[in-house]
Order: sequence, then structure tokens, then C-alpha cells
Amino acid sequence: MINSSDVQTAIVADGAVPDNKTRRYDRQLRLWATSGQAAIEQARILVLSSSATSTSILKNLVLPGISHFTILDHSLVTPEDAGNNFFLEGPESIGKYRAQEAVRLLAELNEEVEGRADTRNFREFLLNGENNGVREWLSGYTIVIVHNLDKDLLETLSNILWHDDSFPPLVVVRSAGFLADFSIQFHEHTVIESHIETSPSLRIDNAFPALKEYALSLDLDNMDITDHGHIPYVVLLVRALEDWKKEHNNLQPKTYAEKQSFKSLVSSMKRKLDEENFEEAESQAYRCWTSSSVPSEIVSLFSDSRLSAPSASLPAFASFASLPPFFQLLKALQIFTERNGYLPLTSTLPDMRSSTEEYVRLQNLYKRRAEEEKAEVKNILIDELGGKVDDSMLDDFVKNTHRLKVLKGRKWGAFVHSNGGQLIASALETSPKQAATHLGLSALEDVLFKKGYSSLHGKAPAPQITIEELTEAAKATLPPGVTLPETEWNEVAGELMRAPTADLPNTAALLGGLVAQEVIKMITKQYVPVDGCCVVDLIETWTGII
Amino acid sequence: MISQSNGFATPHDWAGRYYHIDQILDASGPRTDPAFSAGDEVKDFLRNKAKILVIGAGGLGCEILANLALTGFKDIHVIDMDTIDISNLNRQFLFRQKDVGKPKAIVAAEFIMKRVPGVTVTPYFGKIQDKDEDYYMQFNLIICGLDSVEARRWINATLVNMVDGENPESLKPLIDGGTEGFKGQARVILPTITSCYECSLDMLNKQTAFPICTIANTPRLPEHCIEWASVLEWPRVHGEKKMDTDDPEHITWLYQTASKRAKEFNIEGVTWSLTQGVVKNIIPAIASTNAIIAASCCNEAFKIATSSAAYLNNYFMLIGTDGVYSYTFEHEKRADCPVCGGEAVDMSISSELPVEGLIDLLVEKQDIQIKKPSLSTANKQIYLQAPPQLEAATRPNLSKKVSELVPPGGEITVTASTLPFSLSLRITYT
Repeated sequence: MINSSDVQTAIVADGAVPDNKTRRYDRQLRLWATSGQAAIEQARILVLSSSATSTSILKNLVLPGISHFTILDHSLVTPEDAGNNFFLEGPESIGKYRAQEAVRLLAELNEEVEGRADTRNFREFLLNGENNGVREWLSGYTIVIVHNLDKDLLETLSNILWHDDSFPPLVVVRSAGFLADFSIQFHEHTVIESHIETSPSLRIDNAFPALKEYALSLDLDNMDITDHGHIPYVVLLVRALEDWKKEHNNLQPKTYAEKQSFKSLVSSMKRKLDEENFEEAESQAYRCWTSSSVPSEIVSLFSDSRLSAPSASLPAFASFASLPPFFQLLKALQIFTERNGYLPLTSTLPDMRSSTEEYVRLQNLYKRRAEEEKAEVKNILIDELGGKVDDSMLDDFVKNTHRLKVLKGRKWGAFVHSNGGQLIASALETSPKQAATHLGLSALEDVLFKKGYSSLHGKAPAPQITIEELTEAAKATLPPGVTLPETEWNEVAGELMRAPTADLPNTAALLGGLVAQEVIKMITKQYVPVDGCCVVDLIETWTGII
Repeated sequence: MISQSNGFATPHDWAGRYYHIDQILDASGPRTDPAFSAGDEVKDFLRNKAKILVIGAGGLGCEILANLALTGFKDIHVIDMDTIDISNLNRQFLFRQKDVGKPKAIVAAEFIMKRVPGVTVTPYFGKIQDKDEDYYMQFNLIICGLDSVEARRWINATLVNMVDGENPESLKPLIDGGTEGFKGQARVILPTITSCYECSLDMLNKQTAFPICTIANTPRLPEHCIEWASVLEWPRVHGEKKMDTDDPEHITWLYQTASKRAKEFNIEGVTWSLTQGVVKNIIPAIASTNAIIAASCCNEAFKIATSSAAYLNNYFMLIGTDGVYSYTFEHEKRADCPVCGGEAVDMSISSELPVEGLIDLLVEKQDIQIKKPSLSTANKQIYLQAPPQLEAATRPNLSKKVSELVPPGGEITVTASTLPFSLSLRITYT
């Protein structure tokens, strides 16, 4: 669902017919607004190789309008490349630098985007990185994407980029025939605008004073009957709950029977049979016993070690302001919730049966209270903690506290190697198809590398691989005693053996979409990127996460 | 294991062209149907015989055409009735600024033929309803990348109607894709065999409809003010002049009218962009989601055309807002589907309900959604929307109770000019 406030910010000059750029991007601005678009327009993307999969990914990033992309690839277009890549011009491209051809044809998609072909030999460049400034060069990019990169280069690259937070995330994409997987190497990713579809609490169970006062001030029995049918359900429920509590030792309805009798109470407040606002109140009655306390997913974010340091060792203010703004805000939020027992109020009200006047009145009550609570958060942040965060970020943060997200990433390969292989071992038990596919692609990478077959680009004849070679490579990565799930493994290995180096146009296009979607989520810091490794099987047509 | 042949090579093919795809076509995999015959025969069918129709040359269509051409389909047809708009350029990657205003089908076809040698794309700039069964009969497969429910229902019903038990060739697999923002779905429909588009009508997101009394009397949201401007004020001020939601001046008028009303009622949030979104019912759309869904549709087409692997049974849906979530399942046929089911739909209504009320129900009900329905029984016309004389003659029935016209357990046949099928309702009274 589109929130009208998102769309609101998508428009530049209020009232005027939007300019050409806004019109061009209209359908995506409705998803990520101008803030997301601004982030995209600053993004610099580096892609290693210009395979069909790589150019498909880039296509879906050039179209929405990234700032810059570089393709690092020194290979020349082969007849095999020219057959499966839409961003090469068939036989006319054969023999030319593949990166240059791809950049030329990709850049046509969007005049705002700058593309660059880098035809240095990246094997030499990466492996001799220390001497030629590869680190500095890589840190100039927002995100790095690789497709079917040779095993040794992938390890080198992932080590460099894992060094610390200042290096860009690495997206590792692998495919063979109908099977594929990808994952993103990053340290941490925080999301304020997650767009998760949970509504913020209206806090009916714990109405703020101005709302309670207003609800109690109404003379429901004697007011005009038309007005009576236009009181918003929020006000009715707050009133009914107060009435109920008076009769029940100040307690809310708890048991099923109590809840039913509360609903009857609401219904009995009708003065005419067909008052729809009361019917709405009855159906929304659950909000009276849905607690407005802080959701556990948000509480769990407070256990981050960076949050405990400053309050324990006050006045360590200097170090607090140097925390990433998200965590400064999170600390302020933690203090706010400890004092109040709830998250800051948001001013977005759902639509409900009501007269315009009553609805706008209610909206203003919420708006005023939300402003006060935001001021309290700001006060904690700045005056008590000595933090420093700009106001627009504070605004966004306070509006979205019910759906904040913090993702802890991992290094490429950690899944198979960490905990002595226990992670992959348990995945083989719980999700054998997904785990077998992931393991199969790793085994293939290994076997191809050992055979000296560079996966840089396809060239006939395709290498011959046996199921035994794949099985041996897979077993080598598993801890002792862990076995491969036979059926699933045979299905995966047989398929990899059939098409070990096939970059199929449909698989490439599908990965192009999936990976670009995730990259957009990383860049915009909106929506929630994949947490783990995404496995794709295009025979049965499914995706899974391990 | 690997053969270097290309089926029967055409002048445009070059050695190595199908290196990637031939790895699949030259050998079977563990999950390949035993009937698959690897090698020349399947390549020859794909590259020299198969004829495929793409409906829609928009967000999905552009992607579908490119994928089909690269996988080796050489005889592709495409239908689209739209021309290119600037707001298409963020995802419809076969179009450029200079193409704005030109027919999508024609520009897309030319682009593909220029980029992928040896492929013929035959465009038709017009409506799917312009074509008859003979036309649809010539294809082996049909892929839909449409944004209109109405058009999908039409092609679905047409293809189901075409199935002739005596002639296996008459069964045309239909692959349908759709997207909205970060979400989408792809499905395979084997007319009369699997569930069809009509069977799943109730899965569509319900469009938000604002009650007219809210719009007229108690607006609360900016959307209510915009609906007031377009539904009530436009006809009042402009009379017969039709509103064109593609005309920026019309949108500006609606925006200004809605803004005035919003100000009067102290409602915030009316913008030009929101106005346009509400009156055009704009669905957000991005390149990446279209790429995923189109690729999945084309992958099914490739598998069906070649038998190189099992195909989707029968519904794949993807939600990309929170991680990558997808769900693959078998959507079941509905026995009372008006298109492929054969059984009448049971409907229980109040014996007091007037015909008018029944018509409102048919428009609104999630699994029916028939706009402007005409109603008749075996021996009488209850209400007909056209021609004007019959409409006038049957209009008095609108205020009559259904129970006066149809006995309990009686059947009503519902038709609509936009749909090539009729719905049978078995009426009982409460």
C-alpha cells in the first residue's frame, strides 16, 4: 500500500506539473520517494565481469538512475558471449572489449548515468593490490558486485572488502544453468524506513491525557444524533474503556468473557441501530487489549553493546556523538521507552467513519502529542546524551520506531566455514534442497578452479565435470560425520554437471532483477535486504534463504 | 556429451551462438522428463518451428521479448495497444526519449530485431479483442505481460473456449505475469487442465473504493478530496466533456479543485502527484521486479517448448519488500469457475433484494467482479445493458425483487460485453 505521505515528498514543486525527470521516475518515486532517489543518484557501482548476468543486474540499476557504474573486465567478446548477452551487438561485437561494448549499450538506457569500462587485467590488479592502491580504489564505490568470479580472486576481494566498515558491501552472485545463489557481504545494515507493513500503535489501551480528556468530555447521550454517528472509533473506544475500568477496579478486559462483554458495552452505546462508527469500534475493540508496550523486536535492538557503554560511563559524551547517528537515536529511544513504557506516538491515523471535523480534531490531537514526544526524544538525544543527528533523520526515525531493522551481515563463505561447518550441516537437515544447491555451486566453483577453467567467460567446449568430482569437493567442506542428502544432492549435482558454465538468458535476467532489487534496498536504506544466502532453482521455480 | 550443432542452422547463426543454451538442450538433467530428446530435434523446433505470442509490450513485455529472442525463439509476435509515455522509461528498456508517443509494439519489435540477429518480431498495434480464434490458434504458446484484469480475463476465456478435445493442438499454454512495486507473480495455465485466471479472481487485491457519501459529505483523506474533484465536480463543471487522465491540464484542474476542497475542510496532503496517482490508479513499477517476473515467465515458456526440464506447477509469487520471499504452489481449479468449471455458482440472497442490489453484488464480489452485467433466465430477460431499446424495456425490472422474477433454485445467466463468457448463478433465498 502506498502511503500518501510518501508520495507527497515525491513531488518537487507543489502545485506545478512535475518536470521531465520527476515524470520519468514517477513509478519508482512512489516506492522510495525523493530521499531514496537521491541515494540512488549518488551510488557508484562496480561490477566485475560483463557476463549476461552482470549486464542484466546493471540494466536494472542504470534504469532507476544510479550515478556511475564501472565494469572491470579485460576480456574480448567471444562468439559464445555474443549469443546470450543483450548488451552486446551479436557478431558485430565479437573481438571487441566486452566491457566497452556493454558500457556503451547500457549507458544508452539512461542519459543521467555515467558508465566506464575498465579493461585492466583484474587478476593482476587484485592479486597485486597492496602495491597499486586497490584498496583506495575499491573504497570509492558504494557497492561491488561479482558474478562467477574465480575462487581465488573472490577470496582476495572479499578479504579486502571485509577489512572494515569503510569498504563497500560485496554482492556475490553464482549461477550455472537453472541453479543460482547470491549473498551480500556486509558488516551491518540499519534501516529506518523498512516499509514493513505493521501499523504503529494508536495507544488506545493507554490514551494520552488530551485524548482521554476529550473522550470523557463528550455528552454522548444528549448530543445531536447525527454527530453521535460521526464520532471516530478511537474516541469511542477510549471512552468505553474508561467506563469499563471504572466498573472493574481500573483493570482492562482480560478474559474472553470480559472481552465479549466489553464489546457488548460498546454496542450498547449506540443510539440508533445503524451507527457504523460503533460497529467499527466493536470490530476494532481488540486495540483496547493490544498492549502499546514496546515490541520485543525493538527491545532486542537495545542489547547492542554500543548502547550500554555511554550510560554506564557517563559523562563519556564525546564518544557518544561519534557513534553512528542510527545508534545515537536508538540509545535515545531506549531511554525514552524505559521512562514511558511505549514507543513515541506517530501522527498517522488510519481512515475511519467520522465527520471531517471530528477526524481532523483527532488528527490534531495525535499530531500535537507526537510532536511533544518527538521533542522528548530530541531532548534526551541532545541535552542528556550530547548526541548530534540532523532533524530530518530524527523525524524519520521517530515516525518509524515500530519497524526499525538492524541486520548483522557476515563475511562471504562464513556460512560454510564458520562453527566448524555446523551451520551448513544443520541447513542440510532443515532445508536440504536449498543447502544442497548452495553447496553444489561452491563445489562447482572449486572443481572449475582446480581444472584451471576461468569462469571469466564462456568458451567452447564446455568443461567436462563428473558427479564424483562435485561430490568429493562438497564433502571436503563438510565436517566429519555430516552426509549429503542423497536425493537432493544427486538432483543438484546432475544439473550442475549438465550445464557447468551455462549463463542462461532467463537465469541471468532473473538474477538481474533479484540482485538489483537487493542492491537498491542497500543503497536507499529502505525496505529490508536479504538476510543470508538466497538460493534459486529455476527447474521447480522457487527461491529460498539459508 | 556436448554437440556443436545448432539444429538446422540459419544464416544468422554463428558457431558458438547457443553455447550456453545448448548445454541444456544437449543433455537431460536428473529432473528432466524421460520424453525429452536432447539434440537437433528440440533445437529445430525451438529455433525454426515454434511460434510464440507476447501480449503487452510494456514493463513485462520488453523484458519478455528480449529473453525469448536470446533463448532462441525466432518467430515472435507481439500485441500492444499503447503508445510510449515518458513515465515508461524508468523500466521499459527498449524505449528511448525520442520514442515517446510511438506505438510500443512497433518500437519494441524493431529494437529486438536490430539487437538479436535472425529473430522476427511481428508487431500488432491494437487490441487483443481485434483478433479471432484463428489468429490465436497459430501459436504454440502465449505469454501475457498485462496490467489490465479485463484483458487477462478476455484472453484466458478465449483460450479456454478454444480447447477442442479432439485436437491437442488447440490447447495453448498461457503464461501470465504481473507486478506491483517489489511484488509479483508468474503462473502457468493449461486451459481446461489447470486452474485458469478466472479461478483465481478472488486473489486480486481489492481496489479501495470510497463510499460516495464520504466523498460528498465527510471527506477525511486527501484521496477523498481528489475523488470529489474527479467523480462529482468534473461532470458538474465540464458536462459531457470527457476527462483524460493522460492530459496534464486535466490533472492540474483536478489537483486545484481537490486542493481547494481540502483547504476548506482542513485536510492536508493533496499534491499533483497524488492526484494523478488516484485518478489513474497508478501502480508503482520498477525495472528489477519486472525483470524477475518476465524471466520467470520466459523460463517456463522455454521449458514447455523444449521439455528440457519440468515446468512450474503452477503459481509462483514473490514479495521483495522484506528480504526475498517467494511461494510456489499449485493453485486449484474451481469447479464453479464460470470459464473452466462448468458448475453454476451458488448464490444466496435475501428474498427482498431488488435486481439493482444483485447487480451491485455482482460488481463488488471478489470472485465475480463483472462490471455492467446483463441478466437473463432461460425464458426471460431480467436486465440488459444494451442495446438502448432493450435497456429501456428492461429498466423497470431494476427495482423489482429478484424473488419476483426467479424461483428458488432458479438459474440466472450473467453476461457482459467485455467478457467472452457467461456466468450461471443458482439463486436461493434467505
